[in-house]
Amino acid sequence: MATDERKKEILEKLKNAVIQYDEDTAREGSEEALKEGLDANEAIFNGLVSGMEEVGRLFEAQEYFVPELLMCADALYAGLDILKPHVKQMDLGVKGSVVIGTVEGDVHDIGKNIVKMMFDVAGFQVYDLGKDVPLDKFVEEQMKTASDLVCLSAMMTTTMVGMKKVIDDLKAKNPNVKIMIGGAPVSADIAEKWGADGYSPDANNALKDAINMISSLKKLKEEAEQKKA
Amino acid sequence: MTDTPMTPRDRVLKLFAGEAIDRPPCFSGMGNVTAEGLKKFGYKFAAVHSDAKMMADSAASTYRLFGFECAVVPFDLCVEAEALGCGINVYSHLEDILYPTIKTKLINTEEEMDIAVPADLAERGRVPMMKEVIGRLKADVGKEVAIGAHVLGPFTLAGQVMELNTLLKLSFKKPDKIGKLLDTLASALVVIAGEYEDAGADYITVREMGATSDVLSPRVFKSLILPYLKKVFAALNKDTVIHICGKTNDIAVFMVESGAKAISVDQKNDIADTRKKIGDKALLFGNYDPYNVLVSGTAEQVRETMRQCLDNGVSAVWPGCDIWPTVPPENFHAMMDEVKQYRR
Repeated sequence: MATDERKKEILEKLKNAVIQYDEDTAREGSEEALKEGLDANEAIFNGLVSGMEEVGRLFEAQEYFVPELLMCADALYAGLDILKPHVKQMDLGVKGSVVIGTVEGDVHDIGKNIVKMMFDVAGFQVYDLGKDVPLDKFVEEQMKTASDLVCLSAMMTTTMVGMKKVIDDLKAKNPNVKIMIGGAPVSADIAEKWGADGYSPDANNALKDAINMISSLKKLKEEAEQKKA
Repeated sequence: MTDTPMTPRDRVLKLFAGEAIDRPPCFSGMGNVTAEGLKKFGYKFAAVHSDAKMMADSAASTYRLFGFECAVVPFDLCVEAEALGCGINVYSHLEDILYPTIKTKLINTEEEMDIAVPADLAERGRVPMMKEVIGRLKADVGKEVAIGAHVLGPFTLAGQVMELNTLLKLSFKKPDKIGKLLDTLASALVVIAGEYEDAGADYITVREMGATSDVLSPRVFKSLILPYLKKVFAALNKDTVIHICGKTNDIAVFMVESGAKAISVDQKNDIADTRKKIGDKALLFGNYDPYNVLVSGTAEQVRETMRQCLDNGVSAVWPGCDIWPTVPPENFHAMMDEVKQYRR
């Protein structure tokens, strides 16, 4: 079992690996975490995700842009791939599965992939339909998987309008499903008018929203641990 | 003001030439096909991209129906990538309005990035058809309105011919390699835009939205994007516009430096700030939201937005993106009427 100091060192290593988009170090830190007996959940949340939180801040401050963000995400996944098989199922009161994809006519998936990454981190079952997804496919997949959440992404005004149809269909078939829409042309106004439950206008906001979600999971986790103690 | 009213064509060309005009024009350099125009001819949206007569009819109809002061082609963003060898999807199986997208990429791995401009580029894909479309427009409405055509910028075209994720990461990790690709793509764009010019286009809009500050840092814009935009604009002979959407305030000066005669920005740009940065003389086109204002706003909101654009100092009232086809006719008329009435 690692000392507290060593544990801190490993978490810091994971965090910095994500910030500095260093996949090798993320892998190395993850191996060390496992070898030295760190809890995989802790390594993910207090190491990799902490790094991503800082990346979000750098992105917002316009020190980082999308290329850096993509490389940081690669580093996060490099660590996550090693740690995830060792995650003990957390009882957070949040379980879930999500259907996610970019609507038909739109072949841009960067924003979608960032949101997907945070769902992966949070332990959601993610059904990623990819890009240029026929509208009916979202409804079909939601029904098939009984997912709680459906995330629709569109980067262009020219494809955004297709989302309204998916929302209508989903809500008609399953009024309880939560729908998040995202992409550059999306606004609070449109989300409300079309009956979506949430929205993100850009990768920055998607990342922020996803981080907020993860941060609240982190809090839940800490609370659960305090109760245990 | 003169006794004979200016034609929209005079107004646009004089604006580019820096000559006096009666009022700022209301036009665009991007696609402006409308559902009303398609309805008039009974054309399906998915069909107009690959038929010269249908495309020309639809493009001219926006002027005929609403008095929009231009006719612009094409309507999609795939012509150049297709000519270079990408496969496209026009969604002909759907009734909905979906713009063509790239189905198969030309470059799938980093090793495949070493491409050359095909010697017969001007004869490939829809380039010959585009020349015919421009010729038809010229004969049809060319005396009344300026004929515009658009191409992508080198970086945005790179995002069409290869996976965007890879492009973005390599532009950070291996900028030299990306620079070489952009140089080749710039040469390809010069060939295609040159064909459009020869066919009779009065102005060329280069759309480099992939390099918006929402995606790339202004620093990278200056070092990696600007040199190849300069190459394109230096080689063109007609009037030119550089269009970038999203965040553009920190790159507006570079956009002017690119050599384009005018810069075009969308609703995210703080026009008053940009005007201050680029000076009174530079041509600045923009910047209304073509969906949230023109399609889903009320006629009064449309009028108010037009006044704001002009108050803030645009040289021409111009959309932030393509005109979305389902624009309600009353909104289109309100836009044209407000711009005509406006007095500073």
